Amino acid sequence: MTLKSLGPRLTAIGSGKGGTGKTFVAVALAQAFADLGERVLVCDADLGLANVAVQLGLANSGDLPGLLAGKILLADAVAHVGIGSHASFDLLSAPAGSGALADADAETAERLAALLKRACGYDRVLIDLGAGVGAATMTFAAHADDTLVLATPDPASLTDAYAFAKLMVKRTGGRAPAIVINLAAGAGEAKRTADALIRSAQTFLKVMPDYLGFVPNDLRVVEAVRRQTMLCVLHPQSPAVAAIEALAGALGGQIGNLKIAPSLR
Amino acid sequence: MQLRTFIAKDMNAALASVRAEMGPEAVIVGSERAKGGGVMVRAALEEPDAPVLEDEIGEPVNDVDADFRNAMIRRLRDKPAAKSGRRRFDRSELLASFARHRLPDAMGHALAEASAKTNVSDMTLALAAAIDARMKSTPIDFVSAKAFLLVGPNGVGKTAVAAKLAAHARLAGRAVTLIAGDVAGAGAVARLNAFAEHLDAAIATADSAFALASLTGDAVAQGTLAVIDTAGFDPRQPKIAAVYAALAKIESVEPVGVLSALTDAEEIAEMASGLARIGVTRLIITAVDLARRAGALAAAAMTPGVGLAHITRSPFVAGGLETLTPLALSRLLAESEQESAQ
Repeated sequence: MTLKSLGPRLTAIGSGKGGTGKTFVAVALAQAFADLGERVLVCDADLGLANVAVQLGLANSGDLPGLLAGKILLADAVAHVGIGSHASFDLLSAPAGSGALADADAETAERLAALLKRACGYDRVLIDLGAGVGAATMTFAAHADDTLVLATPDPASLTDAYAFAKLMVKRTGGRAPAIVINLAAGAGEAKRTADALIRSAQTFLKVMPDYLGFVPNDLRVVEAVRRQTMLCVLHPQSPAVAAIEALAGALGGQIGNLKIAPSLR
Repeated sequence: MQLRTFIAKDMNAALASVRAEMGPEAVIVGSERAKGGGVMVRAALEEPDAPVLEDEIGEPVNDVDADFRNAMIRRLRDKPAAKSGRRRFDRSELLASFARHRLPDAMGHALAEASAKTNVSDMTLALAAAIDARMKSTPIDFVSAKAFLLVGPNGVGKTAVAAKLAAHARLAGRAVTLIAGDVAGAGAVARLNAFAEHLDAAIATADSAFALASLTGDAVAQGTLAVIDTAGFDPRQPKIAAVYAALAKIESVEPVGVLSALTDAEEIAEMASGLARIGVTRLIITAVDLARRAGALAAAAMTPGVGLAHITRSPFVAGGLETLTPLALSRLLAESEQESAQ
């Protein structure tokens, strides 16, 4: 019986390359888990350039620097996100555009990861990783219970996702991230992209990453991001929303069978 | 990793250009029909690592001993990868895990049966659903609470729980009166006094049920939360239990049972039922950090008619009161750590 087994489930979302849609997927997954009845915290671990709050159009983004400095408690450092009739979740982030934690190193990441593991007020913590494969990013990736690597069919995204997987395998001694494909034209293209990544990992890294699912390329996603709102509010019927819900299921979100939130479903 | 895309009129031509431009080591990672006819092949090639990325196993390459050692290390490292991931539901595995945690047999079989009936393939989630149907989580609302009477056997940590309740109430902005109902116990009042001082709470002692009732009435009338610490007793003994049942009937008092996770699972289930008989509707389970077997915690949490308010995982006041969800309990029972699995 350890502290770990009582804490929340940490799910980290990384990609290596920027612009693959990490923040969108993290926020949409958070909403999906919250609607399934879980108590969810989104942590914007892009410590230098936080932007989850911008994506959601929030005035308050939480006070991550204050928490790391030990000035306030976790409960006071988070911002509550409640959109429309959906269940609410919490956000922990540095103020957008502040660059307050631009020099955060692996040690800061270790401390934050340890803090999140003990956040017993939550069932799940989603960590939106920054782009790149820096020491701080890989620290979060190694500590998470589930680590997702988000890739697009773009070849540059594939090689960066491979680099992310490689560093994670090295660091954890054989644990590979699970693959999620974003911006795919369809299930076929997504599967081919994931297969290319799995084949490379199998051949060169001797690991077999799981393929968790894909999010289709959908102009409505772009519209939601531009309008700084949730896709599930703007276009609840869009295929991307269904894809995110399927992902939540693949990550153990069936626990929603226990406590269905009084939301839209 | 190098990744390149080749478009050629057929597969043979594509493979030829892959070999010609990337060498024999290249691996085909994908192929599909190209838009304008022909095939599109994607090939990858891993370059040797830059020296910085080499880890500590970077000995001479064609050394037989080193090769053997590296192969062993790789096999050892690959093991957790195979083991990680979610576990599928398996009744006998679940029952074995329950036995390790010393869960009462009858409860174990009932839980395994209910888990199987959920038809959820993941073991932990199936068990969580079964636990959810049997366990009521009833955390304390410190804003509206009036008076708590802490009851339970000796040595489970009632006084520390009283201090924790007071601390939480103070954090919620409430004034608190700690009432020592155990005036005979050695050092009992002194300990409560020390806590009260640190928590900026009032303290009072009551040497009779009548005094207790009037002190509580005063506190509640002023809007303060009264936390009453009592002497330990065995809730299974009907005679002594009747005394506490009478105390529990004092106006606006809610009796809260305090039990320790270090108790035997059968014993704790009996005690929880005993507490239920004197009007307790929620429990606080202490010493969860010390217990290596979760059977007692689970048995207490799933006692019919009694909800689980909080658990404590630290003897220190700052450790606070935490809530336990069915999912967390399921993880404790199903995903037991190796060291506790004896």
